[in-house]
Amino acid sequence: MLAKFIYLLPLLPLLAAFWIGLSYIFGHNRGESGEKMTAKMASVASLSALILILIIDLQAMLIGVPGSVTITNWLSSGNYQINISFYLDTLSLSLLTLISLISFLTIRFSINYLHREASFQRFFIILLIFSAAMFLIVSAGNMVLTFVGWEMAGVCSYLLIAYNFDRPIPTTNASRIFITNRIGDAGLIASIVLSFMWIGDIEWHKVLQQPNSLSSLQLDLIIGGFLLAALVKSAQFPFSPWISRALEGPTPSSAIFYGSLMVHSGVYLMLRLQPLLQQNETLLVIIAIFGLITALYGYFTGLVQTDVKSAFIFSTIAHVGLMFLLIGLEFFVLASWYLVLHAIWRAYHFLHAPSQMHNINQAARSVPAWLAQFKILHTASLQRFWLDNISNWMIVRPMNALAHDAQSFDEKIVSRLIGKPKQQYIISSLANWEKNKDTLQMTDKAAMVQGHGLIGSFMEWLASLMEWFEEHLILKSGGEGLLDLVQKIGTNLQKIENLLNQPRYLMILVSITFIIII
Amino acid sequence: MSQKPNVKTVTSKDIRTQLRETVEHFEHFLPAQASIKDFVHHNTLHGFQHLPFAEAVKAAEQYNGASGFLEEKHFQKFYQQGRINSADLTHVLTADKDFNLEQIFYQNQARQISIKDLLLAMLIKPFKNLTDSQLTWQLEELNAQYCFQDDVSHNSRQTLLKSHQADGGEYSEPAAISRLWEACLEKLELEHFILHPEEMLDLSAEQINKILKMTASSEEENSTQHHGVHRKMQKQAAIELGELLAQVGKTITLRGLLIALTGEDILDEIRPLMIRYVSSYLDQGMASWHQDRDKGFYQSWRTNAHNDLIWLFETLPDWHDTLESLPDESIEVVIQELQYLDLPQNRWSHYLDCLVMELPGWSGMFLWRHNNPGYAGLKDIPVEMMDYLAVRLILERLFAKRLCAEQWQFDASLDMFRWYFRRHRSEFIVRYTLFNKRLPEYLTSQAQRQLERARHGNVETNSWQSLGDIFWTWLHTPAAGGNASYSIFDHAWKLFYLAQHLGMSGAMVRSLSTQQIDTVFSLLGQLDKDKRGFIWLQAYEHHYREQMLNMLVNNKNRGTWKTRSKRPEAQTVFCMDDREEAFRRHLEELNPAIETLGAAAHFNVFIDWKGVDDEQSSPLCPVVAVPAHEIHEKPAPNYLGAYTVHKARYDLRHKLKNLLHQESHRNLLSTAVLIALSAPASLMLLIGKIIFPLKTGQSIDKSIHDFESDIPTDLVANCDTPLDNPGPENRQIGFTDHEQADRVETLLRNMGLINEFAPLVVIFGHGSISQNNPHLAAYDCGACSGRHSGPNARTFAFAANRPEVRAILSERGITIPEDSWFIGAEHNTCDESIIWYDLEKVPQTLQTNLENLKKQIFQASLFSAHERCRRLASAPKKPSLQQAFDHIVGRSYDFTQARPELGHATNAIAFIGRRSLTQSAFLDRRGFLISYDPTTDPDGTIVERLLLANGPVGAGISLEYYFSTINNDIYGSGSKITHNVSGWFGVMDGTNSDLRTGLPRQMIEIHEAMRLQVVVEAKVELLTEIYSRQPALQELIGNGWILVCAIDPDTGDLSEFKIGEGFVPWQGEVSQLTVVEKSTDWYDGLEYPLAPALIAKKGEY
Repeated sequence: MLAKFIYLLPLLPLLAAFWIGLSYIFGHNRGESGEKMTAKMASVASLSALILILIIDLQAMLIGVPGSVTITNWLSSGNYQINISFYLDTLSLSLLTLISLISFLTIRFSINYLHREASFQRFFIILLIFSAAMFLIVSAGNMVLTFVGWEMAGVCSYLLIAYNFDRPIPTTNASRIFITNRIGDAGLIASIVLSFMWIGDIEWHKVLQQPNSLSSLQLDLIIGGFLLAALVKSAQFPFSPWISRALEGPTPSSAIFYGSLMVHSGVYLMLRLQPLLQQNETLLVIIAIFGLITALYGYFTGLVQTDVKSAFIFSTIAHVGLMFLLIGLEFFVLASWYLVLHAIWRAYHFLHAPSQMHNINQAARSVPAWLAQFKILHTASLQRFWLDNISNWMIVRPMNALAHDAQSFDEKIVSRLIGKPKQQYIISSLANWEKNKDTLQMTDKAAMVQGHGLIGSFMEWLASLMEWFEEHLILKSGGEGLLDLVQKIGTNLQKIENLLNQPRYLMILVSITFIIII
Repeated sequence: MSQKPNVKTVTSKDIRTQLRETVEHFEHFLPAQASIKDFVHHNTLHGFQHLPFAEAVKAAEQYNGASGFLEEKHFQKFYQQGRINSADLTHVLTADKDFNLEQIFYQNQARQISIKDLLLAMLIKPFKNLTDSQLTWQLEELNAQYCFQDDVSHNSRQTLLKSHQADGGEYSEPAAISRLWEACLEKLELEHFILHPEEMLDLSAEQINKILKMTASSEEENSTQHHGVHRKMQKQAAIELGELLAQVGKTITLRGLLIALTGEDILDEIRPLMIRYVSSYLDQGMASWHQDRDKGFYQSWRTNAHNDLIWLFETLPDWHDTLESLPDESIEVVIQELQYLDLPQNRWSHYLDCLVMELPGWSGMFLWRHNNPGYAGLKDIPVEMMDYLAVRLILERLFAKRLCAEQWQFDASLDMFRWYFRRHRSEFIVRYTLFNKRLPEYLTSQAQRQLERARHGNVETNSWQSLGDIFWTWLHTPAAGGNASYSIFDHAWKLFYLAQHLGMSGAMVRSLSTQQIDTVFSLLGQLDKDKRGFIWLQAYEHHYREQMLNMLVNNKNRGTWKTRSKRPEAQTVFCMDDREEAFRRHLEELNPAIETLGAAAHFNVFIDWKGVDDEQSSPLCPVVAVPAHEIHEKPAPNYLGAYTVHKARYDLRHKLKNLLHQESHRNLLSTAVLIALSAPASLMLLIGKIIFPLKTGQSIDKSIHDFESDIPTDLVANCDTPLDNPGPENRQIGFTDHEQADRVETLLRNMGLINEFAPLVVIFGHGSISQNNPHLAAYDCGACSGRHSGPNARTFAFAANRPEVRAILSERGITIPEDSWFIGAEHNTCDESIIWYDLEKVPQTLQTNLENLKKQIFQASLFSAHERCRRLASAPKKPSLQQAFDHIVGRSYDFTQARPELGHATNAIAFIGRRSLTQSAFLDRRGFLISYDPTTDPDGTIVERLLLANGPVGAGISLEYYFSTINNDIYGSGSKITHNVSGWFGVMDGTNSDLRTGLPRQMIEIHEAMRLQVVVEAKVELLTEIYSRQPALQELIGNGWILVCAIDPDTGDLSEFKIGEGFVPWQGEVSQLTVVEKSTDWYDGLEYPLAPALIAKKGEY
């Protein structure tokens, strides 16, 4: 059985990425001359993955699908076991084939396309890690491995959106997307934890076989977490806006991440859960509703898009929405077929985006007159149904305010309670100095050094005293000999003062105080 | 202008005229790039062309912040490579009246240093301004005070060490250099302490007194008032506030003011809205749903804004009030908004200039459509720049208002800012310093916290004051720059660096007089960034020009076809395009009996062309002209039946294409079916196109060809019933006999082709076909508005073959022999293929000649492909002809290629004259070749015409490449790989950026940024006369946008045009050039730009 070599599938691109990164660190493949090496490595890795999966496919066709393949135990603690295991059924095998093919083609495409880009190596490293991540998502035998892939894909997408990290728009978008995706991750983690708790296992093949042992609420919660993750990753309503912000990277990465592969991973997750879903009518209805809303959202928003990539991406999520709808209506097979066909078509479509205007010879058909009457719908579509603004309003701004309050609390209460000194400097300003010079009052000196807490006040007083000492004996004295002497003393005192100002001595002082008290 | 009576009329009527004039003025600095489907090269700084080059780039820099010259490090690299040498620099500096090169700067027994040495040292080495921390790094980590700088040459090191020794020092590097560093400090009366930012406020009493003294004004010095510092800080705040507010409407807008005071950019919120509205309005066919576009942009926006819920979620409570109070005319909105801002009226125009420059690409596109109404059949969509300004101003106010309310609870008007900050000067100084000056990190974080607290309203009143005092103090510490006349990290460091390169020892520096020191710094001051850039540029150009002029001298009397003493085997006319230079050269090498000529590829046939498959006609002529004649293509008489089949299939194929590429993202359910059906085929195509581009491309082409079965066609180019007054609005179909003769005659006379017509005369138009390339039009024929010029060639040949036309020509003195036949063709500059037109009409007697010629042309295209490969990184090295050709063709089919061809990337020079000037010389695809025979043009009418027509075209191409190369971020469009085509009119980076104009980085990588050299073969007197009567040429040449030389047709003497002097004899040196057997011997296997060489002659012609 070749299936036991399935771990090579994610491993090959990872190794290639690692190798490219390592060579880059050691300066072997930098610059234009290094492109060939990188390109070769990436192509070989992705082609080998493709060949491997094709052989496994062949074998599966001849002797049946391998099912669950456990390589080794990864973590075990009491009853909790996490394996490095893979689950190869018809669904995952067909998707693996699709992913390896499209990854290979995208890598080949990018070799010419990214020629002479300063970030050539970086791009390929990320692309390879991304294909490894997709392999993991689809082939993982347990939820934790799926989650690992899920996260790797998220990080890769973050890194590629911020491909032009010297410009503010891509970086802002990348961060926002990354944070949005954390919502889905929370769902995924919750489901994994609940499965551990209630089913006692996270291996897909076991979980999927025993839905009946759970109460319907338990099942709801587990699937609900997965559904949340799927909705976010597949940019379904109301999480759709992130994907339209994601098109800042190079065209091939837009194609593979958002057009073709990653956007479908939510659909895959739902398909994977088919046996559980079929137990649960309510959730199916919910899935169908989300799918339908997204399909309509994508369709209407897509109608007003004027730039190629946005037009394509809204169409993409609309069709992914249709897949959710199909799943909700229990057309699982149809949905998986459509997933494959759609992924292929989007790869083709997105890679042709730069020449879209040369490939057609007439303007887009206008919307029918009856639809054009709904002006508010046009505005809503143009503003993408304000989803971004709503999330600013509901989440981003309240969150910022909360963060500020926490910081104030930290500064005003926590810092003072623990007597942590605020950031300080020796002479605050000339104005201060001038003021002191004029008044020559000890009390005014307080501004020179500020301490907090009880100990702080003591230190403050001590420092001021020394300051006064220095001032009067050294700076104002006339005699030469005295000056020298006092200067020496002054320097030493200054040293002590400096030492005392450092937190560790403060700590020592505190300890001493405690010892004395005790 | 109809003014509504109820509108507040505090403004005069003049202000409306003024605003309209402002809008007219925008085209002087906004990018004037056409919609990308009709990309035509133009001078990026066209709006500044009335100024001399150096001044123009400076003026432009004020608008966009882009320097007008290549970064100096590139020039310094060229210097190291020998592509610029000190002779070139000296030449330029000598011509500069600011400098007296021969003057002695320093002299002792052993050394003599002239101003020239000084200047060269200052130019050749990178004179960087160090910051305090960079200097600290140099001294602490790199030990700069004990060792030479890395880039000091061996000679300078030796000189310095020896003279240090001669002055009694020890022959050692650390000793000599540390002595030098001390000398530099001492000479400038500076002391150096290494200060770290945290220590900068740790001032000694002495320093404090010094600062206080330095900053004290005369009246204060005797005053005994307390808290003088605080008062000074307040005073400075008032001054800076005044300056900042004065900048509004000069260099910044309200947005700039807010950035300066809050660090927040309201454009981040406005940009997406503006892009959505504007691109939806300007869209040329991408989206399916637009709204109210017939009512103008402003009204269309109002409808949208009325329905928009953004005010709710983004807390813009004034949204609806604002919308309701808006006047109906956009110009009134502009006035209202500017009044609302409290901006003095005399700054309005400039305020709007600044405003449109915040999104230059989008503003430029809007303006372009404003100036080209009815573009692309979008006649019903009025585009008024005033609408754009109105919407932009309304959005600016709404978002500025929100920000101001959050920060200070006041309204966004200048008066409010003035009122508030006059009362809160400490706050001003903190904010202003934080966002506009360099601060150490610990102060920055203090200030940021303070701002954050202020925003949430919990800030103690005096905390602004103390922070303001601290900032003021910091700004006056020596480390922050202080007020001293000489500074360590600027002056002392530069002197130190310069002395090392000049090999001056510490003692020598010490012996410099104050006057000499002043000379050094005044020279450094004179050599500012722009001046240095311009000197380098001229030196770079000088080097190239000397090479080319030297080539002309060497090539004197070597080139063939100076006079046609016998009939050539064939004559081929190509576009003047630099890409055709190699093609022509190789063709001549293959068969010296062929004469090649060059002309702008509209071939003087300005037409509106409608091909047999076209739905609409498109103009094939320079972009400044509008054709008055239409030429149609129709199926040949015997093929009407075949045509119906062809047409049906052609339409079917395009319907399918539209279905796949457009409907597939437009609909929902039908699209799903479409996707499901087309996915398998698209997978096959994707694999084929990515893995085997050449094979796949060829078989796709072949199957299209087989499917559609192209049919022979004829031209509808004759007009029997001429219109009285044909014009753009009243186009005539076809030309009359006389019109045809006029056009044929003009071109032939332009080229000097009026005798000894060869049996075959082939006219080559050109175009470029590549895959997946938004900038496709940029590779096409610039003389035909970025389209293919084959139809012009074909129409020309059609006319020149007609006996009626020939009869008229013969009356006018041009006799075309009966056995001469003209053929039209099109050269695809991307894959080097040739389309031949109307070959079936070629007389039987010429068939053998034709076959031979076609073979030779094919050979030439192999060589042309071969020569192109040398500059392409992914092409095989030293390829065979076939390998090279396969690579080039494969490239054109490869949809993964961001560089299908390199376009005009190598253009540098234009020759207007006989081919004999340059024939048998290797020009490296860098020359525009325009045929002109001065012997047929005694009074200069032809050369005048050529200069007027081709000068701007050549300059446009060359300058677009120039500017896109020197600053690809601002003048160019950045990398293609993140480009996203918007509305079919331009590209953005990602989905939310400004429109990127200019050339993408992939097109300019190998370009050498220099102005176009033009060499004209004509008498100097004639050219001077033409120059003096043609304002267009005075602008172009007199302002230095192109550089002109003349070569005397009789004697071959060379002269250069110097601005302000006119033509002066060339005084360069002549050196021998290498002679090679054939071009390939000179270039094969080399990637870099090559100097000219001569190619051995074969036979006498």
